Amino acid sequence: MALSGLGLVIYVIFHMLGNFQVFEGPLALNAYAALLRDMPILLWAARIGLLSLAVLHVVLAIQLTLRNRRARPIAYAVREYRQASFASRTMATSGVVLLLFIIVHLLHLTVGVIDPSSVDRLDVEGHRDVYGKLVHAFQNPFIVAFYLAGQLGLGLHLSHAVTSSFQTLGLEQAAFNRLLKAAGPGVALLVVLGNVAIILAVFLGIVRG
Amino acid sequence: MKFTLNIWRQKGPDEHGRFVSYEARDVSSGTSFLEMLDSVNQGLIAKGEEPVAFEQDCREGICGSCSLVINGIPHGPDRGITTCQLYMRRFPDGAVITIEPWRARAFPIIKDLVVDRRALDRIMQAGGYISVHTGGAVDGNVLLISKDQAETAMDAASCIGCGACVAACKNASPALFVGAKVSHLELLPQGKPERTNRVKAMLEAVDREGFGSCGNQNECEAVCPKRISVRFIAILNREYLRAGVVESGLPAEPESPHAEST
Repeated sequence: MALSGLGLVIYVIFHMLGNFQVFEGPLALNAYAALLRDMPILLWAARIGLLSLAVLHVVLAIQLTLRNRRARPIAYAVREYRQASFASRTMATSGVVLLLFIIVHLLHLTVGVIDPSSVDRLDVEGHRDVYGKLVHAFQNPFIVAFYLAGQLGLGLHLSHAVTSSFQTLGLEQAAFNRLLKAAGPGVALLVVLGNVAIILAVFLGIVRG
Repeated sequence: MKFTLNIWRQKGPDEHGRFVSYEARDVSSGTSFLEMLDSVNQGLIAKGEEPVAFEQDCREGICGSCSLVINGIPHGPDRGITTCQLYMRRFPDGAVITIEPWRARAFPIIKDLVVDRRALDRIMQAGGYISVHTGGAVDGNVLLISKDQAETAMDAASCIGCGACVAACKNASPALFVGAKVSHLELLPQGKPERTNRVKAMLEAVDREGFGSCGNQNECEAVCPKRISVRFIAILNREYLRAGVVESGLPAEPESPHAEST
């Protein structure tokens, strides 16, 4: 759970960093996309690796959730939480939201079957116009609302996930404990802010087609 | 003071349980929670009804017998105490108080608020001990243990095995209990030789008993009457990872205190 999760977190961070090239204009982002596509072996290795990490993560999550539900057959009539954060208690829910978001996101921007009004074009350098596709997508308020909701799920999930995985791996040391505790909310905040900046920059017309 | 109590009543392990409402009248604010239940039970006995069964022993917070979930929190609203150390002045006059047993598959209800916590004993029997005879008290400074180490081991050893961590956990996981026991033995030289097999055996016992798994929500730490830190869960995880790496069945650790003489 912890290792597969951390692998996915690292991907999410690089995914955001790569997408920041949208701020450098269409040529930069399209060249970056072409660079990734130019290495088919690496691309597919990464895709298969990510997919297996995700499948492993989901299968383990389902197993653990079922086991944990069985561990308390009769629920409390009254329940008050003192310390367990909202994010930590809703990992299964935020995980499902995140999974659905990822599936739709892949169908939308990678496979390209969600939005029929989007057309694949080439830019002036002959690269596929990923930039144009992105700008087209985030001008649609429904798509923007959906992506923002997905970011909410991502932020909620990560804010518990990162710190929790450190604890699972037994990382605990008086000098670093505050850093380890802050890592979850910190990573979640950075990733969500970064991704939301891209979405809103397009929607508010700061980044134009 | 006057209180309305919603108490879980269940005749036996296989019976259907339900909440029954009782009135506690003329309660002095200095009454402890268990004394208040005693007086309610006196009233029930006088009326010829079956008194409410609940577990208690020392009534000074060290035996780990009392086990009530009060208004949704194991051991009630105050931190760092057991149910028997809770006083009625903590509740507003006329309050409605819901009292439930620890709820977990591994803790089947015996009657009313009494649960069978022998699952924790069986985890201890699986590895929560040292096999060597300790003999008589050794001379001072024979076995050197740093102050930090001794204090950390003592923090872990303060676990009274009440099971509030399991009761509070969303997943009914005993990770804090097992973490405290594994850490307290692992931190001291007498416990080190068997650390590899101990952590494996104890965690296998946890699985056998039908407990849930730790989700690092840290609710256990917040209800623990001995305020045991979740860092011991991290130490437990570290020990388990180490046991997976180290070859099992090693007779002794090279880092035992007598290693320098060899």
